[in-house]
Amino acid sequence: MARHVVCRVDELPEGGRRIVDVGGRSIGVFHVDGRYYAIRNVCPHMGAPLCLGTVGGTMLPSEPHTYTYGLENRILRCPWHGYEFDLETGRPPFGTYPLRVRIYPVRVEGDQVVIEA
Amino acid sequence: MKAMERPEARGVEATGVLTVDCDVHPHFEQGLKDLLPYLPSSWRRRLGVGLESSWSGDVYASRFSLPKNVLYINPVGALRRDSYPPDGSIPGSDPAYVRQQLLEGAGVDRAVLLGGDVFGLGALPDPDLAAAVASAYNDWLTERWLEFDDRFRGALVVAPQDPAPAAREIDRVAGRPGMVEVMLPLTNLLMGDRHYYPIYEAAEHHGLPIGCHVNSVDGVFVKGPQLAGGVFTYYTEWHAALTEVYHANVISLVCQGVFERFPGLKVVIAEGGFAWLPDVLWRLDRNYQALRDEVPWLKRLPSQYVFDHLRFTTQPMPEPARPEHLATLCEVIEAGRTLLFSSDYPHWDFDNPAVALNRLPEAIRDRVRGRNAAELFGDRL
Repeated sequence: MARHVVCRVDELPEGGRRIVDVGGRSIGVFHVDGRYYAIRNVCPHMGAPLCLGTVGGTMLPSEPHTYTYGLENRILRCPWHGYEFDLETGRPPFGTYPLRVRIYPVRVEGDQVVIEA
Repeated sequence: MKAMERPEARGVEATGVLTVDCDVHPHFEQGLKDLLPYLPSSWRRRLGVGLESSWSGDVYASRFSLPKNVLYINPVGALRRDSYPPDGSIPGSDPAYVRQQLLEGAGVDRAVLLGGDVFGLGALPDPDLAAAVASAYNDWLTERWLEFDDRFRGALVVAPQDPAPAAREIDRVAGRPGMVEVMLPLTNLLMGDRHYYPIYEAAEHHGLPIGCHVNSVDGVFVKGPQLAGGVFTYYTEWHAALTEVYHANVISLVCQGVFERFPGLKVVIAEGGFAWLPDVLWRLDRNYQALRDEVPWLKRLPSQYVFDHLRFTTQPMPEPARPEHLATLCEVIEAGRTLLFSSDYPHWDFDNPAVALNRLPEAIRDRVRGRNAAELFGDRL
């Protein structure tokens, strides 16, 4: 793990994302709801560019025939098959299937966004 | 689970075998308006295409489109999110972008184009209108796609409602460079029905396999193929059940003796996967031993007709938790000669050749990648 500067803070505004190359690894860095997330840009299912997917919420586990929407801005959904991954854990929400995407620590240092990867 | 590296797209230079994608969907840019240049004026009028005062006007209830699934909502969307061209046009509508993303980007050497907007043609109540759309589509496919890049291959479409004009349409278009298949949109008549025989005769005559594809109208339109048991509530139920239509049609094709009548005919079952097939084979073969005298025109076990005459495209590739189960499945269905790779680009359940093919047993990988398709399509490939 080494420190990599992603960009200046003003280059990654709220709601934004950047996809960077770190030593041959493609990593997506997201800024949503005041938080930063970094996640590997490869879906473990079929190799899709995961970080081109949508960021939003998902339906929470519920009683039959009821819907409860939640986890807004926590779920990254693959642009190919719609597989869902929690930006905080790199795992599917609620542990429903055994896939995992690598995530990386992100922090702001001065006016720079930095990841450990 | 081990972190996945981005799989590398490898074309024929790297593999030594053409990667033939047997299920790729070209789409219209502006619905039926794309067919305007190819429709006679009387049919433009009948369809109301491009005429403000008629069916395709701005009032929703009067707007005409071909039958498609209008009941079930796919929460992921029906198209790969990264398949929209930079100008925002509809995925699969720009041949240059398909070339860039699929042929060059995913290492596909030949793409067989099955009309994404005409699957539901068989559900139209008007046989003449369906035939007019099919002809216009075939001319559009030729000009816009087959003449654009010599790696595109086409499935000409026929309207199944009236078999005599459908056979004439095959005669009209079959000789065009790049045409490799006849796509038969399904209706609520099973494929073994003698209604279709003029179509099969023409396809056999020209050496073209018949292709059929899940229709998107299955269980949605009265004249489309019906699903068993009743009407589903959710997209995920409906989508999982679509293979029912193929169970029924494989049984019908075999038992009606279609392949005794048309010994040169091949049929491609597209976008149905293949994990459902063993049960059909085993039930048919078991029945044959007791019930043969009901269908005495069958000279061999039903499964043998399937292996000789039917081909199955891979997508959606079954994903069992244990890889050896996929290997066993391939053995049961004789995948070394019956299975054809397909991606379903640009639809949401796309199978990436660089990943999906590697899940198959190595001994049959090249067969599925392209050798089976080369045998099926011959010089036309």
